[in-house]
Amino acid sequence: MELLWLIPAWPLLGFLILTCLAARLPRIMAGSVGVGSVGAAALTALLMAWDFLKHQPGRNAFTQHLWTWLDVAGLHLEIAFYLDALTLVMIIVITGVGFFIHLYSLGYMAHDQGYTRFFAYMNLFVAAMLVLVLADNLPLLYLGWEGVGLCSYLLIGFWYTDPANGYAARKAFVVTRVGDTAMAVGLFVLYNQLGTLQIQEVMQRAAAAWPAGSTMALLTALLLLGGAVGKSAQLPLQTWLPDAMAGPTPVSALIHAATMVTAGVYLIARTHGLFLLAPTALTITAVIGAATLLLAGFSALVQQDIKRVLAYSTISQLGYMFLALGVGAWSAAIFHLFTHAFFKALLFLGAGAVIHALGGEQDMSRMGGLKQKLPLTFWTFLAGAASLAALPLVTAGFYSKDLIIWQAFASPRGGLGFWFMAVAGALLTALYTFRMVLLTFTGPARTPVHHPPGLVMRLPLLVLAFLSLTAGFLETPHSLGHMRVFSGWLHTCLPEAGLAAGREAYEILFELLAGLAALCGIFGALRLYHPLAKSRYSLPESLRQYWIKGWGFDSLYDRLVVRPYIHLAQFNKNDFLDLFFVFLAWLAKTGHQTLAATQNGRLRSYAWGLGLGAAAIAAMVVLL
Amino acid sequence: MHRPDFIALAPLLILALSAAAVMLAIALRRNHLSAMGLSLTGLGAALTALPLMARYTPRTVTPLLIMDHFALFYTGLILAATAVVIVLSYDYFSQKDDLPEEAYLLLLLAALGAVILVCARHVAALFLGLEILSVSLYALIAYTRDRNISIEAGIKYLVLAAVSAAFLLFGAALIYAHTGALDFQQLGALLKAEPSGRPALILLAGLGFLVVAVGFKLALTPFHMWTPDIYQGAPAPVTAFVATVSKGAMAALLVRLFTPTDLPHWPALYLFFTAMAAASMAAGNLLALLQTNVKRLLAYSSIAHMGYLLAALLFSGQKAAVVMTFYLTVYVVSILGCFGIIAILSSKERDADTCQDLQGLFFRRPLLTGVFTTMLLSLAGIPLTAGFIGKFYVVSAGVENAHWFLVIILVVFSGVGLFYYLRVIIAMFSPSLDEGLVPSPALPALSAPVVLTLTFLSTLVLWLGVWPSWFLATLEKMLG
Amino acid sequence: MTAQPPVDTPLWPLVLYCAIVMILAAFIVILSAFLGQRHRERTTNEPYESGIAPTGSARIRFDIKFYLSAMFFVLFDLEAVFIFAWADAARPLGWTGYIEILIFIAVLLLALFYLWRVGALDWRVEKHRRSKRQVTKVN
Repeated sequence: MELLWLIPAWPLLGFLILTCLAARLPRIMAGSVGVGSVGAAALTALLMAWDFLKHQPGRNAFTQHLWTWLDVAGLHLEIAFYLDALTLVMIIVITGVGFFIHLYSLGYMAHDQGYTRFFAYMNLFVAAMLVLVLADNLPLLYLGWEGVGLCSYLLIGFWYTDPANGYAARKAFVVTRVGDTAMAVGLFVLYNQLGTLQIQEVMQRAAAAWPAGSTMALLTALLLLGGAVGKSAQLPLQTWLPDAMAGPTPVSALIHAATMVTAGVYLIARTHGLFLLAPTALTITAVIGAATLLLAGFSALVQQDIKRVLAYSTISQLGYMFLALGVGAWSAAIFHLFTHAFFKALLFLGAGAVIHALGGEQDMSRMGGLKQKLPLTFWTFLAGAASLAALPLVTAGFYSKDLIIWQAFASPRGGLGFWFMAVAGALLTALYTFRMVLLTFTGPARTPVHHPPGLVMRLPLLVLAFLSLTAGFLETPHSLGHMRVFSGWLHTCLPEAGLAAGREAYEILFELLAGLAALCGIFGALRLYHPLAKSRYSLPESLRQYWIKGWGFDSLYDRLVVRPYIHLAQFNKNDFLDLFFVFLAWLAKTGHQTLAATQNGRLRSYAWGLGLGAAAIAAMVVLL
Repeated sequence: MHRPDFIALAPLLILALSAAAVMLAIALRRNHLSAMGLSLTGLGAALTALPLMARYTPRTVTPLLIMDHFALFYTGLILAATAVVIVLSYDYFSQKDDLPEEAYLLLLLAALGAVILVCARHVAALFLGLEILSVSLYALIAYTRDRNISIEAGIKYLVLAAVSAAFLLFGAALIYAHTGALDFQQLGALLKAEPSGRPALILLAGLGFLVVAVGFKLALTPFHMWTPDIYQGAPAPVTAFVATVSKGAMAALLVRLFTPTDLPHWPALYLFFTAMAAASMAAGNLLALLQTNVKRLLAYSSIAHMGYLLAALLFSGQKAAVVMTFYLTVYVVSILGCFGIIAILSSKERDADTCQDLQGLFFRRPLLTGVFTTMLLSLAGIPLTAGFIGKFYVVSAGVENAHWFLVIILVVFSGVGLFYYLRVIIAMFSPSLDEGLVPSPALPALSAPVVLTLTFLSTLVLWLGVWPSWFLATLEKMLG
Repeated sequence: MTAQPPVDTPLWPLVLYCAIVMILAAFIVILSAFLGQRHRERTTNEPYESGIAPTGSARIRFDIKFYLSAMFFVLFDLEAVFIFAWADAARPLGWTGYIEILIFIAVLLLALFYLWRVGALDWRVEKHRRSKRQVTKVN
């Protein structure tokens, strides 16, 4: 347990080694440092998990104080790590999935110029993400939060020679910053009101100080929700994630699917005590989640770029998690986060393998027929897709999504409306997922295969495919064996979602309906997009364009925010506040020029200066 | 003269002896290395003599000299600075083939003059020391006689220094005419006894003319105009010597002369000192603003620094000695580092003193750039360097005694000063514009002693900047 | 010594005396300009009326050696003044003074030795010296 600090320290060390030695490190060394550090972190995390389960620490949490960060005027901040079941799930996902993605990157980035730089950023990201989830207090969490934001920025713009990538990176940074600012304000309000920022204490004091439904609780919960919405790309700050696909594919897999974007979910789960005091905030969370999952699902349906499909799908799945959080199904949200990390990382890595094989081609209309050429990639991708589409019984995605759909109805906060949106989302998910599979792997081949994936790329695919299929058995519904390993464990730190009276009876029915929705989606996709399918239904073009552009949020924001701001900036280009400083500079310059004229290099004028000085002294002596 | 007298005078005697020895060595057999070695040995011996003679201090040796803790500290500072200059000179002069040996002889003599200045307790000793120092400097400034600019600088310095010496003598004569004393202590007593308000005109005029000479040596406005030309013309190590030893000795004399007298008691002098300090801070910083020649820039910056130093004298009353000594030590160390870098980079034909010479230095010589940056930041007074602590003490003394006018001037023009220091630093860190077009000049190999010296100096700057308490405590024990 | 001047000495006789001297001198000069005979001949304005007419500019370059020699003379001559001063007080100063003057003379001798060795006393220019050296080498 005392080795907890090692988990973030490993990747940080890797980052330091990679940046300090940078060019001097041979490629093979750089790669092994990059992968090894995350591997070591993963091993340490597993050790930690074993230890944690073996000796349940008191109050189900373990806190490690490293040192005092600051101690001024009553604000006592420590670098301290907090480990409970929730954190443990997160670090296992981060280090485990992170390790396989790093391994995969060895192959994927093998011929890239910035090989060392890539691993340095990735390691820094993992370190920051671990700090985020391990943080015992909110400022430390915020440090990790901003750290992952920075790494996300650096990695989206990794191929910086293309201005478009730089633009995407900036967009991601600025849009998430809107949420971050809300969150920072939230932290200030919390400190101002409660006098502490230590997470557990905040929740205790908040519960003591604020009655449920009080304005203060609502305000802070909404501000924190703002941060979460920005980071997890939910409505209305979802616009950055599709563009973030400009980064290398392993980055998309790690940061924009498995880990960083789930930080918002983690934040809400971590501060659930606060949200429970503000039922309105929870309802808003649920509404945001439900709306996002549908909107993103429609957008995913029409994308041509394989990575953008996955990006919208990620937004949609995060919507599920928000919905779950909103209806109080905490462990369901985390469970979906857990399985989603596996299958979405798998899908991204599979997509990466395809892109890699086709020499950088990302447009699905130019793919096809890869089933025969890349059989392993196809089968693993299919496993991931099935999991995403929640193919009943055999996939992890089914169990986690089904839990959310059920609780969207059955929870005291849920209802038929949420349930209906969730099921519609499931249908959409299955539809776009299999559209993607079919367009990519079946039909005539349109681009020749250059580089089939090597061993280091195949191994992660296999492992993640296995996990995507089996991870769901940790938690099964009543009707299917009723395994409660995951939620039983999580309920040591998260409250259990109750059931509204009289709804248990419908469980089987609703599960069947949800499974049916997924199957319908898959079937629909086969009918519509399979090369042998006879019927071709196409959407109206304008609607299609509208969805491709993600419901036009970008142009809306452009009109509402960006352009007025640019106009304002242009209006005040010669900042009028600057005039004073310009004047100062002018004064200094004029003084310089006047004085410089006296330094003319002539001995006689220097002697004059001396004489005049002496005369001045004499004059003062006489006059004073 | 008794034995303790000789022991108390040991550093002076050793310096004089080693000067004679160097001259003899040159006469017998010209050798650059041996001349340098002999000079360094002499300085080392004089330095080791300091702790030995500490037992006999304070001691008045002849009516002219006093060896007290103050003199001891400044002698040490002068000897150490001279040693650094000599180390720098060796590399600098060895690439200029003809007759470098006499430079060491002159440096030793100049150091002797400076030491006499800081030990002086009589106007005669003051004059003696000043002249030994000045005459050596005339020759040193014009030492690279194949450069017109050096000769010009030498002649300018000769004429102006002679004029200022004339003022000194005239001032001394006036004082003597009024009081009949030339002994500092006696003078101090007589000055204290003067009725306040309107003291005798002759006495005041005499003191004023004395101040002219001091102001000239320290390059305080309006006696500052020689500085840039001399700094630019003199060979880089000699410039370092002028900037540190010559000014340091004079500043020490200023402290010795004026700390015992109650300056506000003399409105005319007090006002003039205030005006000089303010004008020096303003003129120095403003003149340096757009200067592109680094040696001239440092000359202007030194004018400003002497202004700060004078402000410290006005601010801190009884504590002036400690504050000024700290500031001066830091200044000496930083300036030695700066000119050391310039000396290293200089070629046979000219000194590397323009911003173009330094452009992109970081990519060719990261270590030197680091040292230079440290020194410049220290001069600018950036925290974590010794310069910050020095300036901080000056400002805090000013605030304590509510000298708002000078404090405001100091702060404002320090801000202005930051601009030109940073300009030099930026030049060093930006890649050269003509990179690849013109082959960059072949850099001379760095010799180990020079690198060690520079590393030592920058360590000192950082150490004093981070942990000044030990040094301050020592100063307070010695001078307080 | 105090600088209190005797108060009862009137200053005006001194001023008057100075004025008289000035007036007298001016008077003599002006008077001679009026009364003196003057003649303008061909060679009147030449220097050395009865000698040889000078040629060329007076501003010619002298060899630096002249200045060197002059300076050495001044230096050593001036130092001799100190020796005279010592000689005058040799007995009261005793052995201490004697030792001091010995040191002084030793330093002077050392300086002379130095000047001799560096060739400052050598009247030949650098070129001659080199050719001499070459000759000896050949021999």
